[in-house]
Amino acid sequence: MRVIFPIRSATLLLALFAAPVCGLGEDGARSADAPIDFETEVRPLLVRACVECHGPQKQEGGLRLDNRAAALNGGDSGKVVQPGAPGESELIRRVALPAGDPEIMPAVGDPLTGEQIELLRNWIEQGAVWPASNQDLVHWAYQRPERPTLPEVERARWTANPVDRFVLARLEERGLAPSPRADRETLIRRVTLDLIGLPPSPEDVDAFLNDDSPIAYEELVDRLLASDQFGVRWARPWLDYARYADSHGFQRDDFRDLWPYRDWVVDALNDDMPFDRFSVEQLAGDLLPNAAESQRIATGFNRSAPTNVEAGTEPEETRVNQIFDRVNTLGMVWLGSTLECCQCHDHKYDPFTMRDYYGLFAFFNGTEIEADRANPDVPGSIKFLGPSMPLTDPVVQRQRDALQTEIDAVAAELTAREAELQEFDAEWETELAGAIADAPQEHPLEVTGFESSGGAGHEVLDDRSILLRGDAPARDTYTIRARPNLSGVTAFKLEALTDPSLPGKGPGRGDAERPNFVLHAFRLSVRPTAGGEPQTVRFVAATADFSQKNYDVAGAIDQDPKSAWAIHPQFHKPHWAVFETEHPVDCTGESAFEFQLVQNHGGARTIGRLRLSAITGDYRGATIPSAVATALAVDHRERTEEQRDAVLSYRRDHDETYRELKAKHARLEKELAAIKPPTTLVMQEVEQQRANAVFLRGNYQTPGEPVTPSTPAILHDLDAGGDAAPTRMDLARWLVDPQNPLTARVTVNRWWAELFGHGLVTTPEDFGVKGERPTHPDLLDWLAVEFMESGWSMKHVLRTIVLSETYRQSSAVTPELLAADDQNLFYARGPRFRMSAEMVRDNALSIAGLLSLNRGGPPIKPYQPDGIWVKVGGQRYDYKVSPGEQRYRRGLYVVLKRGAPYPSFVNFDADNRMACRVKRPRSNTPLQALTLMNDPVYVEAAKAFAARILTERPEASDEVRIAFAMRVAVARPPEPAEVDVLSALLESQRSAVAADPESAIRLIGEFPLSPRQTAGELAAWYAVATAVLNLDETISKN
Amino acid sequence: MISLEQTLLQATRRQFLGRSGVCLGAAALASLLREDSSLRAADRDPRAARPAMSPPRAKHVIYLHMIGAPSQLDLFTHRPELSARDGEECPESFLEGRRFAFIGGKMTLAGSPFRFSRHGESGQEISELLPHLSGVADELAIVRTLHTEEINHAPAQMFLHTGFGRGGRPSFGSWVNYGLGTENQNLPAYVVMLSGPLGGAGTSVWSNGFLPSVYQGVQFRSSGDPVLFLSNPDGQSDADRRRIFDAVKSLNERRLALVGDPEIATRISQYEMAYRMQTSVPDLMDIAHETKQTIDLYGAQPGGASFANNCLLARRLVERGVRIIELYDADWDHHSNIRKSLPEKCEQVDRAMAALIADLKQRGLLDETLIVWGSEFGRTPLRQGVNGEGNSTNPGRDHHKDAYCTWLAGGGVKGGVSYGETDEFGFSPVDKPVHVHDLNATLLHLLGLDHERLTFKYQGREFRLTDVHGEVLHDLIV
Repeated sequence: MRVIFPIRSATLLLALFAAPVCGLGEDGARSADAPIDFETEVRPLLVRACVECHGPQKQEGGLRLDNRAAALNGGDSGKVVQPGAPGESELIRRVALPAGDPEIMPAVGDPLTGEQIELLRNWIEQGAVWPASNQDLVHWAYQRPERPTLPEVERARWTANPVDRFVLARLEERGLAPSPRADRETLIRRVTLDLIGLPPSPEDVDAFLNDDSPIAYEELVDRLLASDQFGVRWARPWLDYARYADSHGFQRDDFRDLWPYRDWVVDALNDDMPFDRFSVEQLAGDLLPNAAESQRIATGFNRSAPTNVEAGTEPEETRVNQIFDRVNTLGMVWLGSTLECCQCHDHKYDPFTMRDYYGLFAFFNGTEIEADRANPDVPGSIKFLGPSMPLTDPVVQRQRDALQTEIDAVAAELTAREAELQEFDAEWETELAGAIADAPQEHPLEVTGFESSGGAGHEVLDDRSILLRGDAPARDTYTIRARPNLSGVTAFKLEALTDPSLPGKGPGRGDAERPNFVLHAFRLSVRPTAGGEPQTVRFVAATADFSQKNYDVAGAIDQDPKSAWAIHPQFHKPHWAVFETEHPVDCTGESAFEFQLVQNHGGARTIGRLRLSAITGDYRGATIPSAVATALAVDHRERTEEQRDAVLSYRRDHDETYRELKAKHARLEKELAAIKPPTTLVMQEVEQQRANAVFLRGNYQTPGEPVTPSTPAILHDLDAGGDAAPTRMDLARWLVDPQNPLTARVTVNRWWAELFGHGLVTTPEDFGVKGERPTHPDLLDWLAVEFMESGWSMKHVLRTIVLSETYRQSSAVTPELLAADDQNLFYARGPRFRMSAEMVRDNALSIAGLLSLNRGGPPIKPYQPDGIWVKVGGQRYDYKVSPGEQRYRRGLYVVLKRGAPYPSFVNFDADNRMACRVKRPRSNTPLQALTLMNDPVYVEAAKAFAARILTERPEASDEVRIAFAMRVAVARPPEPAEVDVLSALLESQRSAVAADPESAIRLIGEFPLSPRQTAGELAAWYAVATAVLNLDETISKN
Repeated sequence: MISLEQTLLQATRRQFLGRSGVCLGAAALASLLREDSSLRAADRDPRAARPAMSPPRAKHVIYLHMIGAPSQLDLFTHRPELSARDGEECPESFLEGRRFAFIGGKMTLAGSPFRFSRHGESGQEISELLPHLSGVADELAIVRTLHTEEINHAPAQMFLHTGFGRGGRPSFGSWVNYGLGTENQNLPAYVVMLSGPLGGAGTSVWSNGFLPSVYQGVQFRSSGDPVLFLSNPDGQSDADRRRIFDAVKSLNERRLALVGDPEIATRISQYEMAYRMQTSVPDLMDIAHETKQTIDLYGAQPGGASFANNCLLARRLVERGVRIIELYDADWDHHSNIRKSLPEKCEQVDRAMAALIADLKQRGLLDETLIVWGSEFGRTPLRQGVNGEGNSTNPGRDHHKDAYCTWLAGGGVKGGVSYGETDEFGFSPVDKPVHVHDLNATLLHLLGLDHERLTFKYQGREFRLTDVHGEVLHDLIV
């Protein structure tokens, strides 16, 4: 709606004072003299109906209605509001004109309703009360920031850059003075933690202390900004906003591959990608012309939304909920606004409407569905879908190319061999005909012994099958004995049978939905007599009625412990396999068969009911298809094409050369498949756009008025450049348009909060009317403008802030400072607060010398206690601690399973990333103490730190070693009194160890000792290392 | 004027001497210096006990959540008409506008195969599957018309406990913890125990959401460390550990004196509490010293892990002043074979639930302890004969969100009450419907908290457990 007021009426008196006092009429309806509340009634109406043309951006007719003084002054032709006299107020005359009148206001859009006009009339009648506390109709945050002039200050010599001018001006206003500079040890530790999230090494500290150059600090800052660890540290908060996680969330909390997006963020931050581009690529990289792979990876930002794939969910509800999440996240991250109220109703305080909300919703309504039924008729068949993009990776591609060359060569050999086999071979045909005559016989084996390595029970049924009973162990190896008194056994048949007692009838024991089994090895030995040396029977071929893709039955008899036979998705029905022996086997008299069925998959993917049979006679006869037998009876020159094919196919399958080639081919194909490129989730538009509408009461089942993609009316216009409906790309560009009053402010404010512990706006999640006003509005605007004008450079802004004297102050608190500003809102001292969860970990591992700085790739798993990942629904995952240095990588790379996040991080205020969060709480709890003292990750860190102290300060006194420990942990040398405390601890621990040497050996456990270390000495130093790692100072930025 | 250092150390020492028994947060200390008693809510010591908003009827709450949704129609809501028309096609009028998770096509009415009878002076109707609970029928207020808005497990679990179906909000227990703080400085205020695996919503149902993490539920586990990271590493004795704690404390006190950050004082007190927990938690978890009579009453097994053990532990937690105790029991999602599975599950919980009520009563603790039994939703009056994969199964029941049961007992709850009435098949309330927000408003009220005033400002909004809804059910309150 647009309202334009060419002003003509004459001037009249204005009087703005106290509100009248009457209430509602008897019937509850508003009576004419019921007091109007400007804030909740008039203000929203003026904002929505008038301010677009009579506001900060445009002043049609010279009139502004966004500010008390301006509104009451009127426009070019005089006053428009005559308090107490609605009949003489031009505003009322204009809005009350009949629709279509050339002078009606709003000039564009729907006329006001009778009720709205009445509201304005009553408001003016009552004196046009406009409280002085609400001077600006348009909240400060919705007006474009302009670069403010630098304030005058008395102690100008203290200031290093404009940041300080703004801070000092406020301090002087309050009669406060800045604190002295922090000492150099504190400063290098503070800025290193802030910029790369790691503590400085003792060498870094020494170099800085010894650098007399006036620009030593500046150079240090530049070095840190250029470090490739910068992006790792700064990606952490961004990934909180992006609610990035490695699993879906909700009941079926399976993993998804999205880590390339996480790595994209790290790289983009390291490259100081301009924030406007950083935003556009994440929100709409897929829509860029000829989008590069990295630009599509960036769209993982919005694929990070949790996805409910619980059986029985309604796919459309899930889809809509994900878009709600995307709109809310966008509001929070770029606009610093809580939009979600507008899902159900117009925002109560901020000028956002339901139309605004669903206008934004419409931008996201055209992407592919991400959870749907695999079978439309089966509500339980919900699958996680949505576009997933394979990534190019030069190393992987080279490997794949090499394999492909090899595969092609083998394929050529196969073709050649096949040509040879097509030639008639009289001898072979005669032999085969003989085999057909010699019919094989199956002998179900009577079980004389059965053992389950997992302790499962069993029962032998009348048909000689074995039915497993009792709890199903995750993994199991069955040992089965039989004494059949047979000779000339050429093959064995294994049947995996169903049974009503098995979950989903089986044949597996794991669960009713997917009762698979995974048979890793089928082994047999023959014991000649009781106690005799068993002879292993070799198998040369395996066939089965069905094998799962990549789980061919041959995997059960090869020597690879990982390959196996399985039957997904052919559940709930019986299956069989036949294993052919190298030579005929005899088992007569006292001798016995002993079978072993190894099933190591986990999750009880074991056979629930099975039967073993021995096959005597020429086993090949058993598998000669009737088509071949028929063809063989016909003279080879007179066979039909079909008959020739049958013979060839059979001959191929039984030709050793051909089979070897075939197996090699299959193996290579498998290898090729195994090194398939990683994938990542991306956004992608569907071709057929969906209808867009407001959802009444936020319910997608009750669509109301149609909407088109549009941005909130209170903010700057969206220029889509043409008639076509604007797209996500237009939305993204609109967000980072320099006209946008919010994006730059909201962004610099969050960085400020990361450095100082709270933002200039202490509610970074809410720049709206109910949020806190900035403590330093001019500084916020200066930083925002500086940010945009620097080409949206994050590093430039961070550099500016950390080079300020404000940042470099000591953080010590005096009683006076605490009384004057307990929260440090005015920055008369430097920042001091506990590190984030991830930084606590990285810091400890770094001090211990364990930290691996390798970047990128799939998530890693540090130690966590057993049983954390056990949960109803979804796939079962075994938590396996990552091997080698992987487990010591930075916290950013720790796997995040939303249903069961890494507990050590949760204890330090990390959350499960079910929703966007721009501010973490910072709590101080006993669980944090327990984590740092006893989590095996930190216990190991303390041992490693102790070993480091001994190794890096060999032959040194205790005092020297303690000084080294403190230097490593907190960058400064200890005071004598601190040395005393730690020396006393060391001594008493040495005595304790001497009294009980065994305890030291237990404590050190498998931790590797270097040649000259003893467990006792390391255990004593472990106490010192633990104490130092647990200091408040060690886990705080000081 | 006395120096900052002295003040802080005095405050710290006072905590250690246990005189106040309360640790001081940053601003609390600051205000101590200013002698300013008007503390803002967020500035208080986050754990300290706080006065209730209205006279509390209960000081503790034990929440028994049966994960998966037990069938109210086979336990509490006796619908003879449903049994009489068992196997008939459901009249269309009952199905209109209703959502189901799995069932579709022809809808068949499913009566309960179990017998119901009346118990106690109040004559509460309870099924034969809960014989022990029937024995304490006069203590129970059974709500028969609870309804919710979510029809899938994870969202419904979140909705019940956080008032919102998509995660990220604080749980009921966290809200209570935030509102009331704790009386016990040696144990967490909010304890969670499981029998069986976590529900689909994972740890969200006891998460602090956007409240500070000091308000999160702390899981006590029945295997491994009862609280994560509670025990010292192998080879570290209590004396070894105490020496380290003392060194840390001494160095932290020095630091506090030097830089004056009150957060350090809080850190010192939190380390002391951690140390005390290392004794208090194992002591709590050891039920071997309970009398044989008590152990038998619950059907607990020392050294074992079960719902019964957890019920006994819940009583021990109440005795120690723990504010909120939540027990989650898994495997109640009976889409199929309900005739066999439901009796098995009931047998696992019935005796222990009744024992918990009786035991608290005989110890005089029932009056101050609110017990809540419930689940994320209920089950359909309709038969489900096909599982999620489309294969036929022995009959069960699908998810039902429009009317199901919960019961309350103890602290301030009127016993022997049956609240609300459903239609003849049990599809919908016909009298006194109770929304999840109403239930939560009532639970908060019983604990002395006003659901409209218990708010936390986040993202520009004053958030509540009950959103903008919720009516206290005064009829359930003595």
